[in-house]
Amino acid sequence: MEAVLSRHFHLPEPPDLKTYGDYRALKAALAQKPADLLDQIGQTALRGYGGAGFPLARKWSAVAADAPRPHYMVINLDETEPGSFKDRKLLYRDPHLIVEAILVGAYIQGSDRAFVFVRGEYAEGAQGLQRAVDEARAAGLVGRNILGSGFSLDIDVHLSAGRYICGEETALLNALEGRRANPRSKPPFPFQQGLWGKPTLINNLETVCQVPGVVLNGVDWFKAQGVNGGEGTKLYSVCGPVKNPGCWELPMGTTARELIYEHAGGLLDGHALTAFLPGGASTAFLLPEHLDASMNFDSVAKLRSRFGTCGIIVLDDQTCPLDFLIAINAFFVRESCGFCTPCRDGLPYAHSILERIEAGQGRPGDREHLLELCAKIAPNSFCAFAPGAVMPMESGLKLFADVIERHIAEGACPWHAVPARRAV
Amino acid sequence: MLNEDERAHLAAHIGHYPEPRAGAIYTLQFLQRKYGHLHNEALREASALCGLSITQLEELVSFYPLLLRRPVGRRVLRICDSIACHMAGAPALLDEAVRLSGVPLGQPSADGAVTVLPHVCLGLCDLAPAALLDEAAHGPLDAAALAALVAPENTGGQ
Ligand code: SF4
Ligand code: FES
Repeated sequence: MEAVLSRHFHLPEPPDLKTYGDYRALKAALAQKPADLLDQIGQTALRGYGGAGFPLARKWSAVAADAPRPHYMVINLDETEPGSFKDRKLLYRDPHLIVEAILVGAYIQGSDRAFVFVRGEYAEGAQGLQRAVDEARAAGLVGRNILGSGFSLDIDVHLSAGRYICGEETALLNALEGRRANPRSKPPFPFQQGLWGKPTLINNLETVCQVPGVVLNGVDWFKAQGVNGGEGTKLYSVCGPVKNPGCWELPMGTTARELIYEHAGGLLDGHALTAFLPGGASTAFLLPEHLDASMNFDSVAKLRSRFGTCGIIVLDDQTCPLDFLIAINAFFVRESCGFCTPCRDGLPYAHSILERIEAGQGRPGDREHLLELCAKIAPNSFCAFAPGAVMPMESGLKLFADVIERHIAEGACPWHAVPARRAV
Repeated sequence: MLNEDERAHLAAHIGHYPEPRAGAIYTLQFLQRKYGHLHNEALREASALCGLSITQLEELVSFYPLLLRRPVGRRVLRICDSIACHMAGAPALLDEAVRLSGVPLGQPSADGAVTVLPHVCLGLCDLAPAALLDEAAHGPLDAAALAALVAPENTGGQ
């Protein structure tokens, strides 16, 4: 495998334009027709790496040529989900790759203006990206009539002011327009009516950064980068009680075992694996028996979880699974946008029950009641936030039923190690 | 008060969007960097620039956690308490930060140097337990590293 996304990650500083080199992929792209490039992307298995996994070429071809102008391209750089920090690597380690990828992507999509929506906690990264944009503009790579090709594009770096829900694509549009980030109803989809009512394609950063590699090296090369049926490469990450938490570019299809035990160095000494969330906090648990599964969209979906952003969170045998569930749910309680009742009120209600059980005041039937709540919250919420929030809870309540029932029956945590928790 | 250059800079930024309100977050961030937090006067200045009412601005400030309506210390330390950091000791770290700053979470320390806030996942899960001191990432933190972070030479206190 050849590192394409992470080829500059080893440098002590992110490369400036001179170190980054020519925008070779941009030049290669501008020499071809957008339709041909789109066709090449269509021959790969490139999907949205922000979590949804929608085929990229289909998304990019959704805006009709005669749709009202301007057409906007938005880069969603708002990863706020626990376990997901891959886009941070790209932002902090190679901003010119981002600028080049946006130019190539916007050329293929036929966009008039691009916005990079950066989560507020990555302010320093956003400054680095702004510097890269300015440098590229000074070199004639951003702006009007880029490299004499007739193609023009301006890139806006927008620093958000925090909040997980901004990563939901329609909420992101509201945030970018200077409103509260409440999701919008679909249809109309953003590709029909997005920013200021104009056609808008919203892309995860890593996904877009994969495109220059395809343009430069071709479809067959791209396919050959994967393993176990995967194509291309992927930024995989692992966090939790492992020796070497981190993020690595690896062949798509790498197994969870290789990720956890080789790249992340295995669990801390004396700790053993109980389970793991494969794709960030809003996914369902996988178990040690699933370690050899290829980490890609389809194989994780077959295991009834989600590939998500493939940011693995490890649960070890020294963390109480109930404590783990509460900490995850606390995140979602706090980040609910508050727009719809099942999510705004249901998640805190579930939280109060979970905390009561943890405090030794569980009652028989609590676990079943929580499962019932999960089943009511998920389908009755306005956006995908709440279904994502209940995924780890629901799967944890089922997988760790005995642990939870023991909390209830014994009126105490079998781990006897409940860390102090703050109200959410 | 904003000076002429600052006002012109913000007006130009706001003007480059199809609708002025899209410049509101940038304007509020700019004002917050200048004043430390968004007091009434800051909101009035933002209102004049973005064409939004004070209430519309309050709607934004109360929604976005990085916008601060109340006074904070000269530095703001945000400690992540989401799952990776939680497992790595965030609860104890928050307790320690409260002890070091001598005030409850969210309040400026007596010398005005620092305010400690719990925060959701900072996207630094590989550095758990992690924190942001203003805009700079730190982690993994233990009690000693935390003490160094909020030490007077780092936060400008006495
Ligand atoms: S499900 Fe949650 S995040 Fe989504 S609209 Fe409802 S309250 Fe907001
Ligand atoms: S869980 Fe703490 S930074 Fe992600």
